[in-house]
Amino acid sequence: MLKVENLHASVGDKEILKGINLEVKAGEVHAIMGPNGSGKSTLASVLAGNEKFTVTAGSVEFEGEDLLKLPIEDRARRGLFLGFQYPVEIPGVTMANFMKIAVNEQRKHRGLEPLTAAEYLKMMREKSAIVELDSKLTSRAVNEGFSGGEKKKNEIFQMAMLEPKLAILDETDSGLDIDALRIVATGVTRLKREDNATVVITHYQRLLDYIVPDYVHVLYKGRIIYTGDKTLALKLEKEGYDWLINDYREE
Amino acid sequence: MGAQPLPADSNVASGVWWLVASEDRNIVVSEGANATLAIFDAEGAVDVNIDIMAGAELRLLHLVTSHSAAQIAIAVAEGGVCRATEIVVAPSDTRVVASLVGRDARFELGGAFILTDEDNASVTVDVNHMVADCTSRTSYKGVASGKAHGSFSGLVYVAPNAQHTDSEQLSRNITIGDARIETLPQLEIYADDVKCSHGATVGQMDSDAVLYMRQRGLDLATAKRLQIEGFVDDVILHSSVESCVELVTEVVAEKLNRL
Repeated sequence: MLKVENLHASVGDKEILKGINLEVKAGEVHAIMGPNGSGKSTLASVLAGNEKFTVTAGSVEFEGEDLLKLPIEDRARRGLFLGFQYPVEIPGVTMANFMKIAVNEQRKHRGLEPLTAAEYLKMMREKSAIVELDSKLTSRAVNEGFSGGEKKKNEIFQMAMLEPKLAILDETDSGLDIDALRIVATGVTRLKREDNATVVITHYQRLLDYIVPDYVHVLYKGRIIYTGDKTLALKLEKEGYDWLINDYREE
Repeated sequence: MGAQPLPADSNVASGVWWLVASEDRNIVVSEGANATLAIFDAEGAVDVNIDIMAGAELRLLHLVTSHSAAQIAIAVAEGGVCRATEIVVAPSDTRVVASLVGRDARFELGGAFILTDEDNASVTVDVNHMVADCTSRTSYKGVASGKAHGSFSGLVYVAPNAQHTDSEQLSRNITIGDARIETLPQLEIYADDVKCSHGATVGQMDSDAVLYMRQRGLDLATAKRLQIEGFVDDVILHSSVESCVELVTEVVAEKLNRL
């Protein structure tokens, strides 16, 4: 589904990604961990198509297409979803209106008719239940005045509405109390299917108690320096990154 | 909408009225009346004077859709209220002068100008607190794109004896591309026991918000438009003339297509 080869990316003169290789297949869950400043969020942003970053080398294939050629909205319409670490507030734009446009844009891309008002309302009800999102929030402005937990639930609600092929969740667990974390993680797990894939970027092992990854990657200084299974996350939680980083330094 | 053309003698009782301001007018809202008036500008310079008598309430809409240089002067007597909405979508030079001349009078204005292409518009709102215990609220939003140029100038004047004046004035603006907006909020206070606040901002589109919307599949133009709609939406939704909300929404939507 996603094939990243030797990806290099910079912001201004500063190179942040220094040769990322990553392959994600349908049905898989990947976790990307790593110390602060290692390039985790940059990787998510570059894959999503944030124009702040410049790709200087490498390739990214998504469903057989050259992803890097496409603007951000076309990547989204093809089924790539980014759960933002800091969801943005948009005053005056209601969630319901925003998602209606987004859902219908995606349907248009798939050659489907726009949803009727009744179909859309039904969909919103069903999907907001997945993350226990208060249905009142959908009539409010996007993320405005939402608590930290509500904002993150709202990300997963949008993911549920848009049914992406590949969801990249950038530190969706940061700032969540244990209840909100459970709800968010359960939501993600319920959305998992054979034909979609999830990449979770996280600092903490605790999210991976709920979302069990097939692979855990450690990103350090712009490269994936180690890949393991779910037990790697536990080891990192206990022992930190030093043993890995030291190994890497010696190389 | 059940509105009637404003009668020529211009003594307004309760009811819903409309006026195409093609010539100077003097309008009196009778004591205790509860009236609604929509003023649609014709081209050219006109002066409209409105006296709101004691205890009367006027809901006022001023819609500027063509070149105009209108001045609307409003005097509010004791216990009177004026709730005004002004929407400017055309090159123009408009001026609202509200004078609170009786105790416990209140003036509220929610306004928005939306300018595109080579529009050039200036908006002035002067609020004069002439006596004690009056309240005023002005919130004006500006949007300019293309080569448009907008300016907002707002003055709150508080006379020496106008103690306990309670006044807020806010000017918020978004420019797109090379467009320019200037905002000049001013306070002139000669009384010492007053509560007056003012603020002004001129900013660009929120690029983070645009990015966020595009990540959900909205194209750039839709994302920008949605953000601007959201920015001016409260002015329209809280429009003081309810029966005109639909009309105003249409006028604004048409203008936003040109952003």
